[in-house]
Amino acid sequence: MTTWKLLGSLVLAVPAVLLLAIGPRSKSHPPQNVVVVEYWEKWTGNEGEALQRSVDEFNATRGKEKGIFVNCLSTSGIVQKTLVATAGGVPPDVAGLWDPTIPQMAALDALEPLDELAAAHGINDKTYKKVFWDLCRYDGKLFAMVSTPYCYALHYNTKIFAEKADQLRAAGLDPTRPPRTMDELDAYAKALDERDKDNTLIRTGYLPTEPGWDLSYIAYNFGGSYWDDVNKKFTFTDPTVVKAFDWVQSYSKRLGKDAVTDFRSGMGNYDSPQNSFLAGKSAMISQGTFFAQVIHNQTNGKMDGQWAAAPFPTAVPGLENVTSCTADVLVIPKGAKHPKEAFEFIAWLNEQRNMEELCNAHCKISPLAKVSENFLTHHNNPYIRVFETLASSPNAHGTPSIETMTDVGDELGLFIPDLMLQRTNAKDGLAVVQARMQAKYDEFTARQALHKN
Amino acid sequence: MTQDRAEFRNTIRGLAFISPWIIGFCVFTAVPVGLSLYFSFCDFANVSPAKPPVWIGLANYREMLGDKILWQCIGNTAYYAALTLPLGLIVALGVAMLLNAKIRGLSIYRTIVFLPSLVPAVAAAMLWLWLFNSKLGLINLALRGLGWSDPPSWLNDPNWSMPALVLMSLWGVGNTVIIYLAGLQDVPRELYEAADIDGATPIRKMWHVTLPSISPVIFFNLIMGIIGTLQAFTQARLIMPSDGAGPARSTYLYAIYLYDNAFKGMRMGYASAMAWLLLLAILALTALATWTSKKWVHYGGK
Repeated sequence: MTTWKLLGSLVLAVPAVLLLAIGPRSKSHPPQNVVVVEYWEKWTGNEGEALQRSVDEFNATRGKEKGIFVNCLSTSGIVQKTLVATAGGVPPDVAGLWDPTIPQMAALDALEPLDELAAAHGINDKTYKKVFWDLCRYDGKLFAMVSTPYCYALHYNTKIFAEKADQLRAAGLDPTRPPRTMDELDAYAKALDERDKDNTLIRTGYLPTEPGWDLSYIAYNFGGSYWDDVNKKFTFTDPTVVKAFDWVQSYSKRLGKDAVTDFRSGMGNYDSPQNSFLAGKSAMISQGTFFAQVIHNQTNGKMDGQWAAAPFPTAVPGLENVTSCTADVLVIPKGAKHPKEAFEFIAWLNEQRNMEELCNAHCKISPLAKVSENFLTHHNNPYIRVFETLASSPNAHGTPSIETMTDVGDELGLFIPDLMLQRTNAKDGLAVVQARMQAKYDEFTARQALHKN
Repeated sequence: MTQDRAEFRNTIRGLAFISPWIIGFCVFTAVPVGLSLYFSFCDFANVSPAKPPVWIGLANYREMLGDKILWQCIGNTAYYAALTLPLGLIVALGVAMLLNAKIRGLSIYRTIVFLPSLVPAVAAAMLWLWLFNSKLGLINLALRGLGWSDPPSWLNDPNWSMPALVLMSLWGVGNTVIIYLAGLQDVPRELYEAADIDGATPIRKMWHVTLPSISPVIFFNLIMGIIGTLQAFTQARLIMPSDGAGPARSTYLYAIYLYDNAFKGMRMGYASAMAWLLLLAILALTALATWTSKKWVHYGGK
């Protein structure tokens, strides 16, 4: 071997040997003679670290006492991996999923019912806010427990409101408060829109699709819904739903579809200083509880005190505190080896102190019915009381319990851009959505019946 | 030891040496392929051992006939293949011919052409997302500079989303270029010398010498192209809105719809039936290409 070859080999071999000898090691070493609960979690980053802190605290306290060790593994593509592992008979003991997946997974017999375990720990419908208790249930059974939930509210830029006070007053609007009705929202939005000398849209007062995460549920704010849970039928063609999406399209018609497309194509990533709200390009947006953390982190606190949150306006007099709620949930997949121990961890996490600590770290509301004053006072979101009120309201809506919810999300994800680009109108577009979704749902239930026969 | 026994021992020894591959092939390919055929005749979600496959005969295949979205995906995939396949072959061949010329800095050009093939798909998708941006993208900036006042909204317009996808796919022709380049360098010099003596123009040399000589390479790239374009997934999935479906489902490709059925809708039986239809389509097109190859592919040894 020549000297160069020898040197080359050493250059490659030495780091490898060093990595093996003194490289990073797994931080979690299960102690001897304990039950190891495998927990797959989707979160990484700050949220993942907060969850790991909760896991560590459980392992050091309740887990140590009961002989349980939770091994948390950050997993991408968690829904698919959990399903494949469940099908293969080697699921994790706990999986951190999203609530819209519950009906499909429960219907396909991929989740353990948790009613008995919950009852044994004294967890019942009084423990949670109603909306979160309902979204953890499917077909009368409990299939999940909430880890961190949130709901949506209107966020408005108070600095822009102050700067545009004259325009707002000229339109007969109060610049010191947010809009409360849909008519007011439209008027505020119009007064706050701004175009440059080339007539290019540079700021929108409000744009439904910016970012539009909860736009699927806009019918709630008009007093309607696209799902009839009693008769298990979609109601996309209900006049109230059509009216709601007509309202969505009215923004494209007023601002111009090309102007909206150009405006949105200039937006940066959501979690960046180029977020349209942070960049002052959107005066009002609908966002979740966690948005306070995005605002604070991405502006280094410079925008603190320059925004506020309020209930999203409604189109029906007397209809107040309407919001849509969603949650990260913990489930025990079918065939998990240690369901009792897994639930021990889940129940511990659902104790008020532990839950509030985690939810504050994720900048979210608490799913629990009882909320401590400390949580409300020291929360990272200064408007946490607004969100807690919204989530506790009788007009708080969870994700509809539909087994084909992923199809619904996909279909609406195609319909709304078509609506904004004026390739369809609300009535015709929703008729197509209705036909497709009902057919999918009927086919799903028909196929499920095959397994029961 | 008799010769038969020695041969038998040799066979056993050979099989023992390749047994890791045989076992791996059976466990990870042959058995799953066989099972997928069975599942294609079943209703099967593949999420719980408590819900085994239920035999439903040809129901999945019958459903495919009436599935409008599936037919739209087939149309989209055919459109994508019809644009990408010939364009990819022509562009790659053209680039390979340029890179086969004897000019200074050739290795640098070759590296530049091959580099995009090494860029991870996600990174390339992010790059193209900004290139196609209707307001700030470099492509529309250039088109505006050329006098097109209202250039396309590439990723939001159903008429332009597929051309955008094709354009993006052409960026990664580096692998095909390398194969062509190897073929071009294998063309015997004497043939060009003979053509020169006959007074052939460069175009006639390309038509009568180069193309026939590299026809086996073109055939190989054609077959790989057919397989690749019919299975196209990643680029559309990454760059197009609605998880790859694109505006008005204009870039909803067959493989994406298959994946969505299998892993989002948890309809593994239906997805298996779709997979078998795709296999049959690829087999048929490959057979057709092979049959026509008798007329236009020339092997040196024959």
